[in-house]
Amino acid sequence: MQLFGQALISGIFLGSLYGMIAIGLTLTWGMLKVINLSHFSFAIFAAYITYQLSTSLGMNPFLTMLVTVPLFFLVGVALQWFIDVFRVDEFMSLLVTFGLFIILESVMRWFWTADHRFIPSDLNPYLGVSIWVGPFALPIPQLASFIAAILISSLTMYLLHRTYAGKALRALSQDREIAGAFGVDHRRSGMLLSGLAGAYAAVAGAFIGMIYGITPTAAIEWLPVVFAVVILGGLANAFGAFAAGMLIGVTDHVTSVIADAGMASLVTFVILILALLLRPDGLFARRIAE
Amino acid sequence: MKRWLLTNVMIVLILVLVACGGAAPAASEPIRVGSTLSLTGPLAATGAIHKVVGEIFVEKLNEEGGLLGRPVEWVMLDDESTADKAAALYERLITEENVDLIIGPYGSGNITAAMQVAERYNMIFPHHTGSLTYAYTYKWHFPMWYTGLDTHKTTPDLLFDALDSTGTPPRTIGFVVNQFPGTMFMARGREGDGGAIQVAQEHGYEVVLDVDFPFGTTDLSAIAAQVRDADPDFLYLSGLGVDGNTLITAMNALNYKPRGMFVQWPAPGPLAEAGEGAFSVTLFEAHEPFLSKPGARELNEEFGKRAAAAGITYPVLDVQGAVSWATWQTLIAAVEATESLDQETLANWLLSNKVDTIIGEITFDPDNQNYGPDLQSVKQVQDGKWVVIYPAEFAAEGATVVYSPCESTTESC
Repeated sequence: MQLFGQALISGIFLGSLYGMIAIGLTLTWGMLKVINLSHFSFAIFAAYITYQLSTSLGMNPFLTMLVTVPLFFLVGVALQWFIDVFRVDEFMSLLVTFGLFIILESVMRWFWTADHRFIPSDLNPYLGVSIWVGPFALPIPQLASFIAAILISSLTMYLLHRTYAGKALRALSQDREIAGAFGVDHRRSGMLLSGLAGAYAAVAGAFIGMIYGITPTAAIEWLPVVFAVVILGGLANAFGAFAAGMLIGVTDHVTSVIADAGMASLVTFVILILALLLRPDGLFARRIAE
Repeated sequence: MKRWLLTNVMIVLILVLVACGGAAPAASEPIRVGSTLSLTGPLAATGAIHKVVGEIFVEKLNEEGGLLGRPVEWVMLDDESTADKAAALYERLITEENVDLIIGPYGSGNITAAMQVAERYNMIFPHHTGSLTYAYTYKWHFPMWYTGLDTHKTTPDLLFDALDSTGTPPRTIGFVVNQFPGTMFMARGREGDGGAIQVAQEHGYEVVLDVDFPFGTTDLSAIAAQVRDADPDFLYLSGLGVDGNTLITAMNALNYKPRGMFVQWPAPGPLAEAGEGAFSVTLFEAHEPFLSKPGARELNEEFGKRAAAAGITYPVLDVQGAVSWATWQTLIAAVEATESLDQETLANWLLSNKVDTIIGEITFDPDNQNYGPDLQSVKQVQDGKWVVIYPAEFAAEGATVVYSPCESTTESC
């Protein structure tokens, strides 16, 4: 029972990180029609900056987000500006951001080499430290990433449904021309959303840097699962991405202890296929304009 | 008539000169050695080590006069850590770059793919890091990951002998296995034969945990919970790269520390930092008696400088760098001894002679798929450094096996 419970907790925590990465991706894909593969590179790049700020300046890894979040907000804005200026459509965005993905991987390798990088334990004091609830361990960095994922998905839902900017974005995703006729500036709104996605990638990256070792190729390891999360959660649905992330994380870890870790991916993708057959818009899909 | 004769004589002379030129290349024409390395992709961290070592070797070789009086040029291409790319590039090296000799790439998958190309063109194929010993049947492959053909038996046997030598061997053991082909082979053997699990049972250890995880898994929290639940006296992680660190981090979060832990092919730097007491196996470490091998001390110093400059985070010569150097030594020894670049001549020499390398004396036994004995020794992280601790003749000064199943719990003693 303790084993099952611990697997459930670690699955929820891992899933929340999947969800956190997926939220940025699902928003730009669903609302801006930009399939941003470089979103994964942004997260890993942010992880490297977290590593660098911690090891060079001795910054607390949590505080590095004060630097990385604004920085990657601007990166997201710049990416959307480029996509607007060059009129990159949905399919082309896949190719363009794949190119950026490769370029960023090369830049990371050039700067940090291909070696594995870890934030040394003396500079990463929370790594391996847990809060205990009865027999269950809640590792602090993972718990913090879970809380951050809840905050991000809630904030996003609030922004999209309770603010003018969010309503404008939803209108744009429905019909750009009509929204424009009502005075919605598609360029500015798009840059705001893309900036937010970049900022979310930076938060996820900080946690990746704190919890896992990083290499320039780490981005590719997150890609298939996070794409599954996006599809399961339904496009442009921040809460759906968060919930789907946890579903996949829990499925993965519980399968590991009940059956075999090698079966986890199989079970995850069977769920994905079933979901696509039964609910093609995603398990948690909702019509964003409603 | 005279003019006609003179013209013919001139033509014949020119043809003779051209023919002579073709038969004996000018002394300045380099001997080209081709290989690929994983400079990008997931294997790039280790590929970088082999690049640094190869560059030092070729530079030194050229400073000392080259090979057969000619300079040596290393034509090295990036296989991007993928086997099919490695195979295609070896095809290119042989057919388009017209290299005279080849050396294998880094990593079992790439080596296996490139070996098939070498076989197709009858090129000798010295390689440094192939672990799927059973799969290498090419008559002219020369393995320098000198662990013996039955490494899936001899490697765990050596480790368990080391544990047994303490007088307090583990009674229970847990296995965590990465589903990477090489680590699966080391843990489970092949077709029910060998593998660390079987060898552990032969040593009388009770297997209380046996779990796999897919290659590329970044989060081992669920596995860590299973390890804590099974609480084996000794944990055998048949993993590679940073698997050891990932599992240790996850176990730390559960306040669990295994009483002893082995990692098959770890990234040495990160595990030295986080895995005090962890075991692994090696063919070379940067201390005596290994540094007494000819050229080893100088190589260790030069490698340290160049690796640090290249941004390699563990700039210490260890098994990867040493086997790379030994592979170059073996290839060059064959060429120098035979004064030939003919592949059959080189192969025959290698199959019938010993080569003294930085990792020891090497022979290639054609009756044993060109493998010789297993030269590995057991190493352990002690005071933040890797040191060989078993067998005693290879152990660092004063280093012994540090292991007791009784260290943290009294129930199992």
